[in-house]
Amino acid sequence: MAAEVGLARDRVLAGAPRAGQDRASPARRKVRPVRIVMFAIMVAVAVVMLYPFVYMLVNSFKTQAQYELGHGFSLASWRLLFSGQPIIRELLNSVLVSGAAVAIIVVIATAAGFAFAKIRYRARGLVFVVVVACMFVPLPSIVIPEYINVSKFGVLNTYWGAILVYAALGIPFSIFLMTTYFRSVPDDLVEAAAIDGVSNLNMWWRLGVPLAKPAIFTVAVLQFIQIWNDLLVGLLFLQNPGDRTVTVGIALLQSGRVLSVPALMAGSVLSVIPPIIVYVLFQKHLVRGITMGMGK
Amino acid sequence: MSVLRVRAVPGGRSPGPALSASAGRTTAGWLLSLPALIAVGVLLIIPIGQAFYYSMTNWNGITSTWVGPSAYLQLFEDPTFQRVLINNGLLLLAMPVVIAIPLGIAFLLHEQIWGWKFFRSAVFLPTAISWVVIGLVAVRFYALHGILNGLLSDVGLGFIKTNMLGSTHQALAALAITLVWSQLGTNTIIFITGMAALDPTLAEAARVDGASTPRIYWRIILPQMTRFIQFAFIITVLTAFTAIFSLIFVMTGGGPDYGSTTLEFYVYQQAFSQSAFGTGALLGVLLFVLVAAISVVQVRVLRAKT
Repeated sequence: MAAEVGLARDRVLAGAPRAGQDRASPARRKVRPVRIVMFAIMVAVAVVMLYPFVYMLVNSFKTQAQYELGHGFSLASWRLLFSGQPIIRELLNSVLVSGAAVAIIVVIATAAGFAFAKIRYRARGLVFVVVVACMFVPLPSIVIPEYINVSKFGVLNTYWGAILVYAALGIPFSIFLMTTYFRSVPDDLVEAAAIDGVSNLNMWWRLGVPLAKPAIFTVAVLQFIQIWNDLLVGLLFLQNPGDRTVTVGIALLQSGRVLSVPALMAGSVLSVIPPIIVYVLFQKHLVRGITMGMGK
Repeated sequence: MSVLRVRAVPGGRSPGPALSASAGRTTAGWLLSLPALIAVGVLLIIPIGQAFYYSMTNWNGITSTWVGPSAYLQLFEDPTFQRVLINNGLLLLAMPVVIAIPLGIAFLLHEQIWGWKFFRSAVFLPTAISWVVIGLVAVRFYALHGILNGLLSDVGLGFIKTNMLGSTHQALAALAITLVWSQLGTNTIIFITGMAALDPTLAEAARVDGASTPRIYWRIILPQMTRFIQFAFIITVLTAFTAIFSLIFVMTGGGPDYGSTTLEFYVYQQAFSQSAFGTGALLGVLLFVLVAAISVVQVRVLRAKT
């Protein structure tokens, strides 16, 4: 069943016609009016889904007065955004924090995933269950102790505090994905390497990591989007205005007195560009990450 | 299926690679998995223990006094807390919608109507967007002079004009609708993947017997989708209960009058606005127990089905 879901997912992703799709064309011609209705429904759905993005973009090119009026075009709000908000700094902070956290997650998860799937050692079952079960720990449940600990260790309001918390939150699910992936790699490869006298650690680095590239992409894409979009950790652990991530910056702009809605929209547009680029380039990996939890 | 494998494989007698010396294997295994164990232990497991301890104290950030388990009883008598629990319960009312609409969309996409790849991407796009941005557009949507009221007056329903976010009772509904919108993509993807994984022979046989397409979906495909519906349901409930802090923060700030405060947001509100760290920790523990219970049910259900 797991394999079936995996195959089906790859078929969906590749956009290949599914089995049983090659129906006789007369039958298809007969249902045409129905298909037009179906198409119309999907157009309506697409409008509902895409409207907020259009709204954001269009309104960012207005002044506050034009926004209230409902029409007009101006670059003033973009200028206002760049002069009034350290938006570039915030974007760079987001890149730094999410990049570092993703790097830590990828290294730790490929190592542990390889060990759990391909090295048989004492207590691995227990360690695996303990680590992976932690994916059910909700952030709000631990945020208070976490805040206390991070301040005690003197890393509150430093990048490291936030990076470590993000990494820890992402590790359990990433390890689950990596372990699942490594289990699908034939044992023969590992055995052959073992016979050739390759040490276990070398095997992880030389054999496991290159083999796991697709899974590494999936983990990285999923975690990048999650961390980039997070508010709570950034809000509490990086409180100095110069250290804020872009998501926190925009949220605080919104929750304060909004002087210019179009400038806020412009900031939002900038903040969604990196995750959308990642989404467009790696949609396949994102989908795989979401559906892997159920299929495998 | 997933859960089965998670539970059964590691440490079991599954045929693993015959690696060299067993001592070397144990060393390598621990070396590779220790960083994960340390990270998770220090940053997730120990804090959960601390949260249990803090939950039984009265602690304002400066002075802390021991209260004991009676802290839990006190909380349950607090009307605000009861309100918050009810809000969590009310969010569940959105679940049928957040399952039904994606099922419908998935049916349409599965039929591979013209442009289905584009539609799939459009539906899935919000998955990449932060709650903060979703929330701040939603604020403009529900505002008194916002998009929703504009649409209503355009179709001659201007008299319904509402300020949903300003109303104690409607704020939560506005939040729930936004939640539904943002989760359509995730659930649609789950259902399309599920449908593609089904054995097509049953549906084909029915088609040969002359069954209509809607009938095939209703009688043959839908019953086979149970497992995926349950998965989507659990994922959405967990999202609604533990992952929409930012949406609430941006859209309503939990108000008006706690009308849109959920357990998750109440943790933040108590700890970081009221400096009631003890109560905040307690709420966090309750949320943890709730999530653990839901997860156990998920494991049970999935195991029973596969």
